[in-house]
Amino acid sequence: MSAQLIELVSASVTYHSGPMWARRTVEAVHKVSIEVQPGEIVGMVGESGSGKTTVGKLCLGVLQPTVGKVIFDGHSPIDRSSRRGQMAVVLQHPEWALNPRLKVEMSVAEPLSIQGGIASREKIRRIEEALTMVGLDAGFAQRYPHELSGGQRQRVAIARALITRPRFVVFDEAVSALDVSIQTQVLNLIKQLQTEGGFASLFISHDLAATRYVADRIVVMRAGEIVEQAPVRKFYDRPSHPYSQALFDTIA
Amino acid sequence: MTPLLSIEDLAIEYVTRRGVVRALDEASLLLTEPSVIGIVGESGSGKSTMGLAIGRLLPSFANRLHGDLKLEGNSVFDANDESIRGLRRKRLGFVFQDPMTALDPTMKVGRQLVYAGGDSFGQNEALDLLARVGLPDQARVASSYPHQLSGGMAQRVVIALAIVRKPALLIADEPTASLDASLRDHILDLLVSLRTAMNTGVILLSHELRVVLRHCERVAVMYAGRVVEDGKTSVVFANPGHPYTLALLAAAPGRERPGEMLQPIPGIPPVLSGRAEGCGFAPRCRFAGARCQVERPVARLVANRMVLCHHSERIIDDPQKKDHAR
Repeated sequence: MSAQLIELVSASVTYHSGPMWARRTVEAVHKVSIEVQPGEIVGMVGESGSGKTTVGKLCLGVLQPTVGKVIFDGHSPIDRSSRRGQMAVVLQHPEWALNPRLKVEMSVAEPLSIQGGIASREKIRRIEEALTMVGLDAGFAQRYPHELSGGQRQRVAIARALITRPRFVVFDEAVSALDVSIQTQVLNLIKQLQTEGGFASLFISHDLAATRYVADRIVVMRAGEIVEQAPVRKFYDRPSHPYSQALFDTIA
Repeated sequence: MTPLLSIEDLAIEYVTRRGVVRALDEASLLLTEPSVIGIVGESGSGKSTMGLAIGRLLPSFANRLHGDLKLEGNSVFDANDESIRGLRRKRLGFVFQDPMTALDPTMKVGRQLVYAGGDSFGQNEALDLLARVGLPDQARVASSYPHQLSGGMAQRVVIALAIVRKPALLIADEPTASLDASLRDHILDLLVSLRTAMNTGVILLSHELRVVLRHCERVAVMYAGRVVEDGKTSVVFANPGHPYTLALLAAAPGRERPGEMLQPIPGIPPVLSGRAEGCGFAPRCRFAGARCQVERPVARLVANRMVLCHHSERIIDDPQKKDHAR
């Protein structure tokens, strides 16, 4: 078994579109190799269309690579049913990710219900624990998503992602839709939970400043390829690839 | 000389099904001459309402309670419909977040420009203007439909449309929010260059401090429907006089050292339903005292900037703050 929790081995993904007599193909990801070690936060930056989200989907096993391999915990391809509760995702818009007709407790408990085999008393305790963990009062369990602010909804989405104590979490633009003052609250929360829970994670964002703040290592993507991969320190100093430098200059 | 834009104690509320929301709570802003001013604020701070109010573009469920907004000495609220249309057509330019919704999808770009440009504006002038906003291959762009352009190109076309009549004031509401980071600076440089090239005042509404810090000579920080701090960018960001500006600078990632924790602002921004009795920021402020709860701060001039806070002097002189703001 390898030391990596998740590993992409020169994975490529090709998307098809259009009717069958006029097929168009787009190679969204080209020969990407990434390793995420247990307990590590890997940040991924790049502009829209660079293939960031596709890589996130590959890591979660919701998408199979056209060429190449994805190895999770020594297994490939990822068998999601046996990996239940070990992976989670937090998306950009919590208002779309949460079912508006379900109370917060139902949404948060959903991954546990899918995992199965958990007594309802235990479930209630775990919901409370997950909400407290993200800094929400247990009373929030009885509310509906529309009764929460953007930051609170994103906390609920994080609570739901972490309730099964996953080993790997993908944050796909998880803070991009939040206001500056709330964004930092959530970034600090992710950092703190990662230190406590020790999960590995892929933090996808177009914002280098935010990514650099939470990540241990940064991967820069452009047009479906990785152009630079380096420890976060380098992105405080001077990254080497011209494209990374351009990104760096926008935040300097 | 009449100022370009003067907003005095403007209060605007939205009447919605779920009650009344006060978007502007006696906001004031004065632009004596064309300059580049950045208005920073989070969502709900009232910056977009202010931008729309300049062109009287507010939706029908918005009420002006009191206060006034004058463009080149004429109140936009008192103007009749014909003169407000003239004002929008000739004196104002708007650039919004998403270029694709700002352009007419059924008309070629060149025709849209000629249409907006008026009588003496033809195809050749349109090509010149496209060159001026930094678009290559103007003939191709002019004969393209908006969907055939990339986001960055489309936003340049929107800017071209906004300046076609050489407006006195250009209002750009989050003009780069839907664009990629690598394009952002080019578009903003273009907007800022209009100030010298055409003597147009530019109001840049943004939630990003970094953008304003880089491109604007003056900054106005908005919170809870009021302009809480207003001054030269270099003065305000070097040593903020309002606790909200200070907290924003300390919270925004980008200037921290590796491994350093950022200080988030506790709590959430308020949604006002009526006139705030005290200071809107008081519940989240670490400097707040009893006075902040009951007495509305009034605009004061402290250390070369206008500020709305009872404790500005203390904040400016706070030695502990230095390492927060940097």
